Amino acid sequence: MMGRTFKVNYREDTALFQNRWVKGWLGILAALLVLAPFFLSRYEVSVLNEMGIAAIGALGLNLLIGYTGQISLCHGAFLGIGAYTSALLTGAAGIHFLLALPLSGLMAALLGLIVGIPSLRLKGLYLALGTLAFGFIVEYVLFHWDLTQGDLGMAVRRIQFGNFEIETEKQYFYLIMTVAALATLCATNLVRTKIGRSFVAIRDRDIAAEAMGIPLAKYKVMAFAVSSFYAGSAGCLLAHYNKWIVPGAFDISVSIAYIAMIIIGGMGTILGSILGAILITGIPHGIDYVTDLFRGSYPAISEMIVDFKLGIFGLIIIGTLLFEPLGLVGIYRRIKAYFKTWPYKY
Amino acid sequence: MEKMIEIVFNGISTGAIYALIALGFVLIFKSTGILNFAQGQLCMFGAFMCYYFATVLRIPYVLSLLMAMALGAILGALVDILIFKRLVGEPLFSTIIVTVGLASILTCMAGLIWGHDVYSIQSPFMDSTVTLGKMVFSQAGLYTIGVSLVLFALFMLFFNRSLLGVAMRGTAEDSKTAGLMGVNVRKIYMIAWAIGSLVAVLAGIFLAERSFVQTSMSYTGIKAMSAAILGGMESIGGAIIGGLLVGLAESFAATYLSGMHVGGFHFGDIKDVAAFAIMIIVLMIRPQGIFGKKEVKRV
Repeated sequence: MMGRTFKVNYREDTALFQNRWVKGWLGILAALLVLAPFFLSRYEVSVLNEMGIAAIGALGLNLLIGYTGQISLCHGAFLGIGAYTSALLTGAAGIHFLLALPLSGLMAALLGLIVGIPSLRLKGLYLALGTLAFGFIVEYVLFHWDLTQGDLGMAVRRIQFGNFEIETEKQYFYLIMTVAALATLCATNLVRTKIGRSFVAIRDRDIAAEAMGIPLAKYKVMAFAVSSFYAGSAGCLLAHYNKWIVPGAFDISVSIAYIAMIIIGGMGTILGSILGAILITGIPHGIDYVTDLFRGSYPAISEMIVDFKLGIFGLIIIGTLLFEPLGLVGIYRRIKAYFKTWPYKY
Repeated sequence: MEKMIEIVFNGISTGAIYALIALGFVLIFKSTGILNFAQGQLCMFGAFMCYYFATVLRIPYVLSLLMAMALGAILGALVDILIFKRLVGEPLFSTIIVTVGLASILTCMAGLIWGHDVYSIQSPFMDSTVTLGKMVFSQAGLYTIGVSLVLFALFMLFFNRSLLGVAMRGTAEDSKTAGLMGVNVRKIYMIAWAIGSLVAVLAGIFLAERSFVQTSMSYTGIKAMSAAILGGMESIGGAIIGGLLVGLAESFAATYLSGMHVGGFHFGDIKDVAAFAIMIIVLMIRPQGIFGKKEVKRV
């Protein structure tokens, strides 16, 4: 929209919401989110809840991979760490959820620090392998430790505020959306600051970044820690939402799903993480929907489609990287640019 | 003493399988610079194809092994033509993630075509053992080691003596110069992928001897990655030695460490995790592996 885009003071220039259009659309989105649970069925609200949790995790991963250019194949492990920390804190130690949420994020961030320190020496494929091995080892530890009860799974207490217990999907929805909105706000602000710019500099050319005075060690480790904090918080929410966690729910297929999210959404963008999270979380439900449609007429096909999920993620990853490396955000920007410059071509 | 030899033998026969997969890794990595996360899935696919030929179609074992290997080579070449041709020059992250995606697709396809049950391949030396004094060796293990040795010797000859092998080494060292010297780099990439998956298929079939054919066989591929890292991603001999070492470590860990209970922590199934622990240790101490050269990054 070729509206008024003149900034007359610094406050306007550095504002988070640049013009009235953005504020307007965000206001409409907020209103929709607040009103949505009243109009949608329980199942649909539960899908939105899953998308909200996935969005938090995807934001963290995009900060690490999209903005800082590191490779991490162990995001699922950090989710697991956050989930189990929260389960243990609220269960055995009796800490309130509001305190357990940041604490489980911190615990995951601590382990993210530990993974981040070798990342200073390891580049590219070695880092990918190191994080892969870390993910498997975390899964192994969670499985075999008495404290986490391994494959028996662990029950997670419900979230309680005084006498009020969060039970229905609608109540979870408001909690999850609040945390997700907070996480998005933090991430958007983070990439606008010195830290975000340092991340991008490290991604583009880390030797040049160091030559310009950006301490690589500090910011690379910080990237891992921040990304793991997001993953830990998402894991904590996941644990309380599912009320039952097993180590197998946090294995490499979860990491691959998150990577698919940010790739199809668009690496290096905040909007991309959210779009990707929505799409990838929606795909299994979409498959279920299509399978149900088919079940009446072609029962054999519905059996086959059961395990498509991981295969479709792989197909999405490859397709996106081959044909549209910028992901959904790239498509969105192209469409926006098309309308912005219409009827001219550029 | 006999127990020690048995442990060593088991370790070496497992290690030979890891060495074969790691060989495929290093081959593809050296020639094309791509780390193939889908190597384990190629193993699994090969095992499934051999199962199909041997058990379902009742083709004699050796013939179905050769057919599966040929099909595996074609699959590898197809993967290269369809996917990696368009990814030439893309950053490393893209290629790694594409192979991860490929791995997921292969797992899903295998599940679709053959189902998630556990199968076994009818082979002439199932469950037959050779007894030497008080020690019992499985015949399948002996064949694994034997065929692997022959294969390694063939590869050594191929890369050192034949024209194509030397061309592949040249492309691995510097693809642009090799291209300028008249080597068809695209063809070399395709051949590298074909040989890499051929070796993976063979390894998968050997793996199926010891256990079963199932979709979770692909985790062996990741363990073999640690073997490749241990030996050094740049060296074929290193892959073999790395594979043997990882196999031996697993065998010893399984015998001596399994079942330990240290302060609320069970060490069960340590066989699965030993390879990853090795990978992390190697990455921390000496990322280039035993035989690798330290990568010097120039501005």
